[in-house]
Amino acid sequence: MKTRPRIGLYALVVLSVVISFLPIVWLILTSLKTTAGIYAWPPQYWPTPITLANYIKIITDSPELLLYVLNSFIVGVGCTALTLSIGGLAGYALARLNMRRAALLMVVILAVSMFPPVSLLPSLFQNFLNLGLLNTYTGLIIAHTGLFLPFTVWMLASYFSTLPAEIEEAARMDGMGLMRIFLTIVIPLSWPGFVATGLIVFIFSWNEFPLALVLMTQNAMRTAPVGISLYPGEYAFPWETISTATVIAIVPILVLTAIFQKQIVGGLTAGSGK
Amino acid sequence: MTVLSSRLDQRRQAVAFGFVTPTLLVITLILVYPILQSILLSFGDSSIDGSEPWHFVGLKHYAELMADQRFWNALGVTLTFTGLSIPLELIFGVALALLMNEHFRGKGLARLAVLFPWALPTALNTLMWRWMYNTDYGLFNAVALQTGLAHRPIDWLGDATLAMLSMVVVSVWKTSSFMALIILAGLQSIPKELYEAGRMDGMTKWQEFRQITLPLLRGPILVALIVRSMDALRTFELPFNLTDGGPVTATESLSLYAYKVIFDFIEFNYGAAIVVAQFLVIFAMSLLYIFTLRNKD
Repeated sequence: MKTRPRIGLYALVVLSVVISFLPIVWLILTSLKTTAGIYAWPPQYWPTPITLANYIKIITDSPELLLYVLNSFIVGVGCTALTLSIGGLAGYALARLNMRRAALLMVVILAVSMFPPVSLLPSLFQNFLNLGLLNTYTGLIIAHTGLFLPFTVWMLASYFSTLPAEIEEAARMDGMGLMRIFLTIVIPLSWPGFVATGLIVFIFSWNEFPLALVLMTQNAMRTAPVGISLYPGEYAFPWETISTATVIAIVPILVLTAIFQKQIVGGLTAGSGK
Repeated sequence: MTVLSSRLDQRRQAVAFGFVTPTLLVITLILVYPILQSILLSFGDSSIDGSEPWHFVGLKHYAELMADQRFWNALGVTLTFTGLSIPLELIFGVALALLMNEHFRGKGLARLAVLFPWALPTALNTLMWRWMYNTDYGLFNAVALQTGLAHRPIDWLGDATLAMLSMVVVSVWKTSSFMALIILAGLQSIPKELYEAGRMDGMTKWQEFRQITLPLLRGPILVALIVRSMDALRTFELPFNLTDGGPVTATESLSLYAYKVIFDFIEFNYGAAIVVAQFLVIFAMSLLYIFTLRNKD
């Protein structure tokens, strides 16, 4: 009676895990095959021989694919740092300082985040062109920051509102300024909120496509998702290179997600529960 | 005392305003101003570099829109894609959430596995699937041909109906986990006593699900539906990387069509009209959800 449902349960769990991993595993296997192995019939389900030739070839022949990953990293870190600093301040003011019309501002911030990113493109492209911000890290960092600030403000504000108010009140009695209270008391107390929000924003920025596609038009400035997607030849894709580059571009995200699984899940569910 | 505290409050309001200013500035620059500019662009004609200054043309671009078959096709593609993906994602999402709510060994690993598809870039996920769908060298045709399920390679992305379904599969694969996470958080907040009471009344598992679980999940489900529908209605890199909107325009979403109009055909003003129309669709959809699910209370 008790064992049969357990077997069914495990079967379902295994099935879900297999389906989730299948494309990723298949991609990794592809990247470890020889070119002949990739296009062989009968198909090679397991790479024989296993080779790192594709990885070595990327380093020697197509270093721009590694540059894309570096670009993604620079933009992701810059965007995360900027979003957390200014979004943290805003979230604190909106959640904790009895700001006038705080609720209205929160709703407006949420509402503007509902616009499709493509609707920003005609205007952003034009303005960035005129300001000389196309093909600059600064430009894409600011654009991503704008895109993910609403999420950040909501996440951090909801985190700040769970902190006990007494410590801040005591500090205020001692004559501490609000900025010092924020920097020396609030941030140390709420670092788990910052970590969760920062991780999600980093992932968002790493994954963002339309703005990165349009605001970085030079090959050397492209981010990983865009650069790999536009890699030479729209129809005759060099799959041995594409699969390998994709593995390299997703490994950082896989590692981050694996290490910080709890924080990310907690952050996502808290953010959407509000 | 009141004078002093109100002065203090004024100071605090000023500081609070200072704290919010950088955020409002960036949001205005990156979100609010471009949207207003898009609306303005859609009612005028101008050139990208400013050599031809903007002048008002009224509803000209919207009239073009009404007569543009390709726009109506893109709207249909977007609505079909959303209408097929969201219910499937919801079913798989609820199922996954119920599964993850059970106790079993290796739960951490299982949760990580369902989180991965969500965490990876859609553009690259799409490339992985495009590789599996590949007619000549893809995994699906290899298995189908070797097991004898198919006698000729299936052209997954070359047939209009199959291409749409293939696109839906990628989306459901990627985002069911997101639905599951939100619904799981809702599940875990349902008090255990309710189920105990249900058991005392002799409810079956199905009755429990229908009468206790589902009604209490309405909030999280509404949130998940709105967030996901808005995402699906603006889907861009999925068709961009999977099919480039093809065959012909069978999978060309609104976002993809708008992008092509703006950057391939270089028609900024007409493209702006498309994105404004797209925004109205998204807005209408959000209202629809909120009213239908609210009224059931």
